Amino acid sequence: MQISKQQYTEHELVSSLKDRDEKAFSYLYNNYNISLNGVIFMLVNDVTLAEDILQEAFLKIWNNIDLYDDTKGKLYTWMRRIAHNLALDTMKSSQYKNQNRIVTNESVLTNIAVNNNVINKFESNDFRRKLEFLDEKQQILINMSYYQGYTQKEIAKELEIPEGTVKTRIRSAIIELRKIFT
Amino acid sequence: MEINDIISSGLLELYVLEKTNEQETIQVQSWKATYPEVAQELLAIEYSLEQYDRAHAVVPSAEVKNKLLSKIMSKSDDRSIPSISIPAPVRSINNFWKYAVAASIILLIGSSILTVNYYDKYKSASNDLAIAESKIQAQESTIASLNSNLEVPLNNYSQQVVLKGTPSSPSSTAKIFWLRNSGDVYIEASGLPEVPKGSQYQLWAIIDGKPVDAGMIMLDNNGKKYNIQKMKSFGSVQAFAITLEKEGGSPTPTMEKLTVISTL
Repeated sequence: MQISKQQYTEHELVSSLKDRDEKAFSYLYNNYNISLNGVIFMLVNDVTLAEDILQEAFLKIWNNIDLYDDTKGKLYTWMRRIAHNLALDTMKSSQYKNQNRIVTNESVLTNIAVNNNVINKFESNDFRRKLEFLDEKQQILINMSYYQGYTQKEIAKELEIPEGTVKTRIRSAIIELRKIFT
Repeated sequence: MEINDIISSGLLELYVLEKTNEQETIQVQSWKATYPEVAQELLAIEYSLEQYDRAHAVVPSAEVKNKLLSKIMSKSDDRSIPSISIPAPVRSINNFWKYAVAASIILLIGSSILTVNYYDKYKSASNDLAIAESKIQAQESTIASLNSNLEVPLNNYSQQVVLKGTPSSPSSTAKIFWLRNSGDVYIEASGLPEVPKGSQYQLWAIIDGKPVDAGMIMLDNNGKKYNIQKMKSFGSVQAFAITLEKEGGSPTPTMEKLTVISTL
């Protein structure tokens, strides 16, 4: 159901949000909820918890939209940081402290697999097919740095490969991604 | 540092993810301001990150949006309450109920719209499924009938008997496959003229000079086509004949409606 067929440019969207326009918020949610939920889910690996954090993230986005500075980057990157940080905070909180954040290659891959099962049916299949062009090593690195919140130094230590190699591989993965998606 | 070195340093990716330390952040910002290539690279990294996330998207339940919208709306309600400034506690309770009722009506309308919408989607999806299933069934029964149509003529014991048109219907033909081991009789009747409404073709076996009912010839489910079909079985027959009879058949053949006949 399309409540509003209105399309916003990123600039219009941000200024409407700053004007507390609920329609703009609805549009924002419709456009980004599945991506942000995926980012959160990747980290917490729990459907219900992910949805709680997603809700919290969108409230924070709504309440802090005035802090967004478009000279620093795209709206999505800013929103993703909020969602990702909230998810990281949850994982670090007392409830989840006992759980080890150290993620082996295997569990990163499991996360990808689990994620595959709940994948968005509407538009992601095509993307997913494209992603398969990335080799497994590249997918692991991208997932560790983009989702698990590892620094490149931490990845190097975790996977016991030189930091330079991590950088090069992430770099080549990004180049591949860009080729695939553009 | 060369631009290529900057781009391949890995720092730009970290910067996008806000994983750089203070010193690195300042460094990247100054590069960004100095080199358009770096600014462009940063945008490209952001773009690929967004696309990558989209590929890993997970659909949350519809509840999340409903909860969010109601939270946002109730917030703006909170703000407007003080400006109304009601001293009497009784009235504020009234107002509370007003807002509660308003909020629940909005939720109700919203959820009804969603329900109707999902029901429609569900209905059209299950319709599509039913259509697809009936198509498959139709295909399957066509294949099954084609297979059984092939089985009979290919049978080693099958003897083919051709029934030729009579003077009243010279272009009509029919074929009988008579299995000599079992006596089973199959008919392929697609060469008969279209059957008039209320009538039906009846097969007769001529035994000792007398016609014996060998069964009614049925059209397929669509009422259009004759498949090869099994009739009554006979051990020895002098001839086969087909007459046009009233629907359901007759005890004795109507000779003036004799359509095809064979001699053995």
